[in-house]
Amino acid sequence: MSSPHAAPRPGATPVRRAVPPGLLFALPFLVLFAVFMVWPLVQGLWMSLTDASLSAHDPSFVGFDNFTEAFQDAEMWRALGHTVLFTLISTVPLVLVALVMALLVHTGLPGQWVWRLAFFAPYLLPVGVVSLLWMWLYQPDLGLYNHLLDVVGLGQVAWLSDESVAMWAMALTTLWWTVGFNFLLYLAALQAVPDHLYEAAALDGAGAWRRLWSITLPQLSRITMVITVLQILASLKVFDQIYLLTKGGPNGSTRPVVEYVYDVGFTGYRLGYASAISYVFFALVLIASAAQYAALRRREK
Amino acid sequence: MTSTELHVNTAPAAQAAGPIRELNITRRARGGRTNLTLGENRVSRVLALGALAVLALVWVLPASWALLTAFKSEADASDPAHWFWPRHGFTLHGFSTVWERGDLPLWMLNSLLISAAVTVITVLVSAMAGYAFSRTRFPGRRPLFVLTVAAVLVPPQILIVPWFQQMLTLHLLDTYAAVILPQTVAPVMVFILKKHFDSLPGELEEAARIDGAGHWRIFWSVLLPLSRPMLAAVGIFVFIGAWNNFLWPFVSTSDPALMTLPVGITSVKDAYGIQYAQTMASAVLAALPLVVVFVFFQRHIVKSVATTGLGGQ
Amino acid sequence: MTGTPAPVGPPGLTRRRALTAALASGAAVLGAGTLSGCGSAQAADASTVRLWDLFSGADGGLLNDMVRAAAPDMPGTHIERTVLEWGTPYYTKLAMASVGGRGPDVAVSHMSRLAGYAPTGLLDPWDLDLLAEYGIRREDFTDAVWARTQYRGHTYAVPLDTHPFIVFFHPGPAAKAGLLTKDGTLDAEAFSSPDRFLAAGKELARASGKQGIAFGYVTDTAQGWRLFYGLYKQTGGAFELPEGGPAKVDVDRMTEVIAFMAKLVDGKVNPGRLDYAAAIAAFANRQTAMILSGEWELGTYRAADPKVSAAPFPTVFGTPAIYADSHSFVLPHHPDPDPERRRRTHRAVAALLKAGQIWATAGHIPAYGPVTRTAAYHRLEPQSHYAQAQNHVVLDPTAWFAGAGSDFQNAMSQVLQQALLDGLAPDRAARAMVRRLNTFLSKPSPA
Repeated sequence: MSSPHAAPRPGATPVRRAVPPGLLFALPFLVLFAVFMVWPLVQGLWMSLTDASLSAHDPSFVGFDNFTEAFQDAEMWRALGHTVLFTLISTVPLVLVALVMALLVHTGLPGQWVWRLAFFAPYLLPVGVVSLLWMWLYQPDLGLYNHLLDVVGLGQVAWLSDESVAMWAMALTTLWWTVGFNFLLYLAALQAVPDHLYEAAALDGAGAWRRLWSITLPQLSRITMVITVLQILASLKVFDQIYLLTKGGPNGSTRPVVEYVYDVGFTGYRLGYASAISYVFFALVLIASAAQYAALRRREK
Repeated sequence: MTSTELHVNTAPAAQAAGPIRELNITRRARGGRTNLTLGENRVSRVLALGALAVLALVWVLPASWALLTAFKSEADASDPAHWFWPRHGFTLHGFSTVWERGDLPLWMLNSLLISAAVTVITVLVSAMAGYAFSRTRFPGRRPLFVLTVAAVLVPPQILIVPWFQQMLTLHLLDTYAAVILPQTVAPVMVFILKKHFDSLPGELEEAARIDGAGHWRIFWSVLLPLSRPMLAAVGIFVFIGAWNNFLWPFVSTSDPALMTLPVGITSVKDAYGIQYAQTMASAVLAALPLVVVFVFFQRHIVKSVATTGLGGQ
Repeated sequence: MTGTPAPVGPPGLTRRRALTAALASGAAVLGAGTLSGCGSAQAADASTVRLWDLFSGADGGLLNDMVRAAAPDMPGTHIERTVLEWGTPYYTKLAMASVGGRGPDVAVSHMSRLAGYAPTGLLDPWDLDLLAEYGIRREDFTDAVWARTQYRGHTYAVPLDTHPFIVFFHPGPAAKAGLLTKDGTLDAEAFSSPDRFLAAGKELARASGKQGIAFGYVTDTAQGWRLFYGLYKQTGGAFELPEGGPAKVDVDRMTEVIAFMAKLVDGKVNPGRLDYAAAIAAFANRQTAMILSGEWELGTYRAADPKVSAAPFPTVFGTPAIYADSHSFVLPHHPDPDPERRRRTHRAVAALLKAGQIWATAGHIPAYGPVTRTAAYHRLEPQSHYAQAQNHVVLDPTAWFAGAGSDFQNAMSQVLQQALLDGLAPDRAARAMVRRLNTFLSKPSPA
């Protein structure tokens, strides 16, 4: 290291030497992280132990009362149930339809640009647009879907006001809106399948179905796992489209747990109790993550 | 929140470590690829094309219906007898009405400025942190990085209540700062960028160091220019997320003058009641910016989602 | 609609506002530290009074007309309306804006929601002297309405109207059924007991050739409760909700009322399973001769039948009581209100009240007495037929969780729907309601 350039730069002040430069680089993020992630996490936990409310009064410590109440709160369990139900009925089609779309587009048939636009563009719509659009599609007397049902001679459906239908309508909307994301992930994975596998299969005289079953799908099994995991975690957090389309109704039959947090905290003023339910929900997400992690681990072995 | 929520999680990403996949969509292997996947069989090609067309039609239908409605007169839009083709032809009345009402352009401006601010701050701050975690040594580096990665598991939804309380305490409710700041904390982007910096060769940096460049110059003049594609991918992803984010902007603003597009068009109503053509016109206008951007930058956006969406694996 | 250019506008219309927003966001991009105050609500023009309300449709148009009519009464002041989605979302936003201290200058609120707002510090009281200066006095309101504006000796609401739950009918079939008095008003005697009410329904069905009385309640978040609570108060039964519980109610009388409601929607004489919109359609299309409905649907009914008539809800259980609510003006809390702004707000509200005749055309009973005492008001039909309803109005019980658009009304309506639609026995429904009530009472009050 005889090069003169290697000497410490003359401009380096004692302060900068005292604080390691790496820390300086990380500092802006760490500050934001501390203020808007760590502090809220701690504060949320603290609030869950108080009767903090939206009104002017000072919160007082109530111990685990909020959690005791939450575990006996039938509405909370119902909302958690809705969240889990939505996760189930949205994840399955969101993975399968995305797979079918990607397989079809990956065949390289003409019109690539059009297909990608058709399937992915809805994902770029803000949820406000999606909800206005689907409110109109589901409109009982004027909406497109009931008109189409009429045309084919089927009865009309009360998409958003029939308790046995509303949650499925939510899943349908979500499928239309977000499937493009999974579709792109699948498409990327498909393009990584080496051509020589297909060439070998072609030499063996395998037809299109054989190639699909014995080459394409096995190659996709790992990415399917990953997409499913991401989808489950995303579906568990559902709030926007349900809140905007049904407000959790009819009769609370679609209200997910995140909306319950919002309703309890901001509509019902009970920020403390809402924090407690947030943490119950957090526990659910962590359990789901841990289960999926374990499943992935087992599979990799 | 299935869409606006960034689909990111490092647990599977860490498991499924592999090279970054990029969509090679410029590949001109059309005929070749079709032969590879479908074989020479004509029937299977026709079937596949048919299935694709039906699926695309189903997907395009909702938006086309909205477009059709937006160009109708109010009377035609709410006439069940002529639900498909308007009796009195098409009109731009719905569009001009919602545009002239003035709040839609304002919300667009709000969305644009808020998303831009979130993107600039997030990308810069995350890149710096990614650099620090990847290329420097300082006490506490490892535990801080582990903490950052662990924070990916925290759903932003559970922070809504404490964020609200925090903004209340800081007297920031109903300000741009309240909407922007919590959205700029993106541990997953730090993780992605750290991995990215890990993957860059060290030689250039060495050369710069020998030339006497400090950390800042190495970061700013050497590594960032090398990372442009990655930064673009992250930036696009963050921007889409911020543009479409609903829950936090919805909770942190009640003044209509500060609302973002998704919040405004769903919260503020028309004094004269529900007007379907106008509602669809505002939905179309609200959808337009990102869809237009997509048409022009399809390649970049697709790549951004494909690389960033899996948490940078 | 009046033809003059109006000082009415949604927010964001003014160029200055857009510019403010642009500059503020520009600052946001530059640095987070400088922007805490930017773009805040109070940055609006000095002459503007920002009003939040929940009136869309016919009411929304009328309020625009009122704002125009009131303009000469408040020179130099400009009311800027923001219409937000009705119901729970409105009240949630109002509470969140008030707690943040950057809410609008004045907002419309149902008076039944006051118990959840005034004691929690979300509202500021009105200055009665200031109101009197602009011609609004306590004597201008009925006692039943005024009593609900008070909390701890302060006035937290200035009532705009009373909107009772009443009956509408088509005069033709009603006359044919022999249910009208000589002057064409509804013969309240014929509805003065549960049996008579049901018998009158049969007569109406016979006269209309189809069905008698429509009531839309299926999946509705309030209708069941509106009908129930008005009828229950007619029985004279107690309905007290002490903090912490348990509720002091008369389960037998509740059962009696629910049994009557279930008999009413029998599905034969009267339609059995209508939702809100379907009931309106049934009455408007003359499938039924009568409908139990809020007066606010007057415009809809009149569009279908220009001769449509109305009456206060009949006294079925002995004591006159009519379920109602009242739209009122409230002042969202500001930590540090500008006296000039407050003065302008008082003046604007006074001017709006005096334009109440316009409001009455929608069916609402203006709360400001001088309006309902005019000859012009007495000429309004059928409004003048039910104006006396405001002497016997019953609002929701005073509890922080009750009131229009509340979860409480929804919960009660759900239980009632089970009794009316799914055959839950009335006594069991009554007990279920009490259980739900006690759950609400067991929750700590935010006050």
